[in-house]
Amino acid sequence: MPEGHDERLKDLVGDCVHCGFCLPACPTYALWGEEMDSPRGRIHLFGQVLSGGPIESATVKHFDSCLSCMACVTACPSGVQYGEIVEAARDQVEQSAKRPLPERLSRSAIFALFPYPRRLRVARLFLLAAQASGLRALLRRPKVAARAPALLRAMESVAPPITPIERLPPRVPAVGNRRGVVGLLTGCVQSVFFSGINAATARVLAAEGFEVVIPKGQGCCGALSEHVGRKSEALRLAKKTIEVFKAAEVDFVVVNAAGCGSATKEYSRLFQDDPSFSAEADWFASRTRDISELLASVGSRAKRHPVRARIAYHDACHLAHAQGIRLQPRALLQEIPELDMCEIEDTMCCGSAGIYNLVQPDAANELGDRKAAAVVAAEPTIVVTSNPGCLMQIRSALERSGSEIRTAHIVEVLDNSIRGG
Amino acid sequence: MKTFRTGRRAHKAGPKTRAGEAIDLLAPIVGRDAIICDPVELATYECDGLTHFRVRPALAVLVGSSHDVEAVVGTCARLALPFVARGAGTGLSGGAVPDSEGVLLVTSRMRAVLSVQANNQRAVVEPGVTNLEVSKAALPHGLFYAPDPSSQQVCSIGGNVAENSGGAHCLKYGFTTNHVTELEVVTPDGATVKLGGMVGETPGYDLVGAFVGSEGTLGVATKVTVRLLRLPAAVQTVLAAFSDTDSAGRAVSAIIAAGLVPAAIEMMDALAISAAEKAVHCGYPKGAGAVLIVELDGPLAEVEESLLDVNHHCLEQGAFEMRLAVDDADRARIWRGRKSAFAAMGHLSSSYIVQDGVVPRTALPQVLRDIAKLSEETGIRVANVFHAGDGNLHPLVLFDERVAGEEARAEQLSAQILDLCIAHGGSITGEHGVGLDKLTAMSKMFSEDDLATMQLLKAAFDPHRICNPGKAVPTPRLCGEPPRPRRGTQPLQEQGLAELF
Amino acid sequence: MSTLTELEEACPSRVRQGRGLDSIDGVTPGLVASPLGTGEVAAVMRVASSAGLSVVARGAGTKLDWGNPPASADLMVDLSRMSRVIEHEAGDLVARVEAGTSLAQLTEVLGSKGQRFPVDEVVAGSTVGGVVSTGLSGPLRYMYGAVRDLVLGITVVRADGVVAHAGSKVVKNVAGYDLAKLFTGSYGTLGIVTELALKLKPVPVARSFVVAAFPSPRDLTPFLSALLSCQAAPTAIEIERTAPSLPVQMSVLIEGRPRSVELRAAEVATLLGGGEPFVTPPPGWGQLPGPVTLKLTAMLSAVPSLVEQASSIALQLGLPARVTGSAGTGVLFMGLPDRVPAVVLAALVADLRAVCDGLGGHAVVLRAAAALKSQLDPWGPVPGIDLMRRIKESFDPDRRLAPGRFIGGI
Repeated sequence: MPEGHDERLKDLVGDCVHCGFCLPACPTYALWGEEMDSPRGRIHLFGQVLSGGPIESATVKHFDSCLSCMACVTACPSGVQYGEIVEAARDQVEQSAKRPLPERLSRSAIFALFPYPRRLRVARLFLLAAQASGLRALLRRPKVAARAPALLRAMESVAPPITPIERLPPRVPAVGNRRGVVGLLTGCVQSVFFSGINAATARVLAAEGFEVVIPKGQGCCGALSEHVGRKSEALRLAKKTIEVFKAAEVDFVVVNAAGCGSATKEYSRLFQDDPSFSAEADWFASRTRDISELLASVGSRAKRHPVRARIAYHDACHLAHAQGIRLQPRALLQEIPELDMCEIEDTMCCGSAGIYNLVQPDAANELGDRKAAAVVAAEPTIVVTSNPGCLMQIRSALERSGSEIRTAHIVEVLDNSIRGG
Repeated sequence: MKTFRTGRRAHKAGPKTRAGEAIDLLAPIVGRDAIICDPVELATYECDGLTHFRVRPALAVLVGSSHDVEAVVGTCARLALPFVARGAGTGLSGGAVPDSEGVLLVTSRMRAVLSVQANNQRAVVEPGVTNLEVSKAALPHGLFYAPDPSSQQVCSIGGNVAENSGGAHCLKYGFTTNHVTELEVVTPDGATVKLGGMVGETPGYDLVGAFVGSEGTLGVATKVTVRLLRLPAAVQTVLAAFSDTDSAGRAVSAIIAAGLVPAAIEMMDALAISAAEKAVHCGYPKGAGAVLIVELDGPLAEVEESLLDVNHHCLEQGAFEMRLAVDDADRARIWRGRKSAFAAMGHLSSSYIVQDGVVPRTALPQVLRDIAKLSEETGIRVANVFHAGDGNLHPLVLFDERVAGEEARAEQLSAQILDLCIAHGGSITGEHGVGLDKLTAMSKMFSEDDLATMQLLKAAFDPHRICNPGKAVPTPRLCGEPPRPRRGTQPLQEQGLAELF
Repeated sequence: MSTLTELEEACPSRVRQGRGLDSIDGVTPGLVASPLGTGEVAAVMRVASSAGLSVVARGAGTKLDWGNPPASADLMVDLSRMSRVIEHEAGDLVARVEAGTSLAQLTEVLGSKGQRFPVDEVVAGSTVGGVVSTGLSGPLRYMYGAVRDLVLGITVVRADGVVAHAGSKVVKNVAGYDLAKLFTGSYGTLGIVTELALKLKPVPVARSFVVAAFPSPRDLTPFLSALLSCQAAPTAIEIERTAPSLPVQMSVLIEGRPRSVELRAAEVATLLGGGEPFVTPPPGWGQLPGPVTLKLTAMLSAVPSLVEQASSIALQLGLPARVTGSAGTGVLFMGLPDRVPAVVLAALVADLRAVCDGLGGHAVVLRAAAALKSQLDPWGPVPGIDLMRRIKESFDPDRRLAPGRFIGGI
């Protein structure tokens, strides 16, 4: 690692005064009560590594178990940049540590699939076939599930019901006076499994006076890879994404997935060691907007029709903690007539966290169950969020608990309201 | 039922140490997953909220029940292994610093609120429950748990019991010792004993009173029964800005002399305010040399009249701005600055010492002037945050460890502040405890005879001295070594040095 | 040198032979020393230690028949001459006093500056040392806590004559073990307390007593519950039943500023279904019933049940028991005439003990003549007794301080 970088990391680690305020915010500390699986403990572990300590399997395990939810960053009174620390830690782990073979195969499989929409579409067909033939339901039977590989089980459990793909044209014109031109990041998982959300996003943006450009050839923004420390892969995917949008000449890049929004806003830091591309990275990062952030900032123009529902808004970690966006989605929902809002008391991460629910299914399930219980306690009819990962996780947890509460992305609610309620 | 982490690596067979024996004896009882013996993992437990003292324990056990605690302590008694109990590890005197040859007993998994009995105004909780959780559990019944240390969202009740924690509202409501009526304790011989009872005034010696504040040196609490109080009808919080600490101090004296008993009176000086501003953007009045946060609670009529008096006294002593919280959110905003003050120091200085001393309230203005003078003479900045109502100071002594000699000067200043406290008839610690940090200072506050008398109590509970040894009360004749702060992160290096005290 | 001579050296011209009037529950001390100051107490105790004398301390002698009679009392240390208010720092709400200071004297001195030590004088003539040594509190305990919550620091003389200090004179202090708590209520069995630092409160400007009567204890329940959760912030919630089948009187003390007291007293009066506010305390307020006195404790929710059961047991045994005390904290007292036969008292205590045990509390015979106590254990069983014995042994290995007076034969 470059010398200067090491010094900076030592400084970051030194910022931690060991006060422990992060502990109650941390999902893994809530689950296991172990110092090593708390932000304070992980910072300490990384400090040991920076001082020359070995990267042991224990160290790897504790970094792997971090959800990167950034709740600790919000809770920390000393301003410790935990996000940067854990990323650097994961980077080092990827480069130097050896994982057991089954784990390595799992990860390779996941990253051979998820960042590539075309491959995801193939996987989708398999899931569709499994769904239609009843094989999917079979996989849920306890005896079968017990024998199936954990990864397969986890994937099946979070994957949403397969619906037809809604195709998007390359350009959607603005309704009324044009306020600007925005690019739509279609995402990887989102574009294949939640194409309806992307379509809704385009419609809402258009209704609010934006011309929407949906560039072809988009892949994954690199968020998933970046969060687990597969840095070169993340750089490759990010570069492609940036190039695709640069060519499109847009005022803003609109993101409807919290994870993607948080990752793209940090492109500047991702490319800090690559001066040849940093200007483009900066350009992109400065133009990224979450859909609720953009709409709240320009003010709503399109008429909102009543939506009779009681909605609990779930803050995706990467929107609330990583981007600081909490009020805007709520403000947008409040504009809808006859919509009743309630708050979920437990704001802890739902356990989705990128690919976390695939590689740490037990922990993710527990967190999901916890979130589902909190959602049920708030008694909404629909729980709304701004992230596909959260949607899948919460939907699957609610199903497990036998609840009939529905899930929706915020743009689906807005779209519904604009189109007639 | 919670699932805990599985897959701990097997303990490597090697020459049998007492610690190894302990693991073998404990694994079948507490579960192998609850035992930590990997050095890298153990290192994360090497200190509490005070990073100066770091010692890696031989092993750590995450106990899940009173039964587990009994097993751990009993095993330690059998093997003559020292043991140290730890809650959330947020203490500021090194009370939970492990013993290098012993067991660290971690209560973070014992976090059940066992019962809330509104009709008896009691709650029974396990030691790992956080302070705030107790109040949260009591809230639906219109009750609350009064002691509220600033770290209340993370610190554990077990830790509060050990330190006799206070908090901003202890001015009116008292400390942990005034709110605990019963304890279930595992004494250092491994026996479980009940101390006190549901009602106060249990016949016999006040064992609860002796145990609370004993800093984990007399045993491990496994169940705590606390008193809950009726939430006050009205709360009013006032933020008053003064041009200097002298006038703020005079306002405090005036308020007390008038027979008012606010729930809390806190003061912060200009330096502390600037740190809090950077950290949490509390928006305190610009240009304030000192702010007072005065909180009144109780029956509506009483609070309203008292509020007028408080305003009057503050204005009379020169307050240039008075802000009244209009709702709960506003109140929380006012308090946020004060509550984050310590941790916020990181924005002002790379390192700092959090000191904790008490002087009689009437001596406050003089002591603050003395501290300012010392600060000027040594060139070491001191930010002052404190519970003005009860004279409990928290001078935050700022220094840059990279500048030669600055750390030593800061330590010296910090020690001199304690000397000031003693000279004025105060105390060397109002809240944070003695732990490791103030062992030498104990000899300044108490005579050899005083300390020997305290040891008589210790001898009754822990004749073999295995329970958090070397903390809280120095054994006379062995307390000459001043504890030195550590900056390194390599625990193996520190161990040898840290044991010398 | 004889012991007497040594004592006289330690405590010049204030050592004399013990007389009948000095008797501690029927045990006359051999010698009585009246030291002036902690130094003399220490000197006296050193002599006692080397001579192996058993020692009992005394303030005003108002509670000498409390607990068990001492197994022996070679020397009585009379602290009544140590009655100075050493320091009263009004701005700090702290006072330092010698142990022999009477509560009455203290009240006067503090009252001149508008402050008080918020502990009732439930036994007339009590000294601060005596009140602390017996852990005796009154109605004010509801608001201010029992006496153990109000002692900030102590100076004690140990059995071996060594002087030790614990706590401090500031309201907030966690340095060292809280020996002040350990010594409070210890009946002089761990050492002699010579000086104390006390936490004070301002004397309220106005007060009002709201009184209401209820036919039976059961009728109390909803009202007591309402009082405990009301927002009037009473200073004391007391009940009194002068005889087993009579109505129960509830008296609530409200203190504060005049207007606020008026409003809150009215609130409480309404809450009690039409109580009457008075400016003066009801007769017998804050006085221990007696001459035979029992202390009965129970969980808050069980207080009405305790009153009912205590009354019915007394009634069955034909005893005109008076039950009074702090319903707000669950600490009640029962008074009986001294002509109660020892055997009947023993039966009463056994039954009451069982009741209190089931209600989360204890039954203790605080005061009775020695003859009456001969057939029973005034203290009863208590958890942690082994630990208490170990503490006693640590502080007084020769078992010379008030031997046998305390719980479990300590």
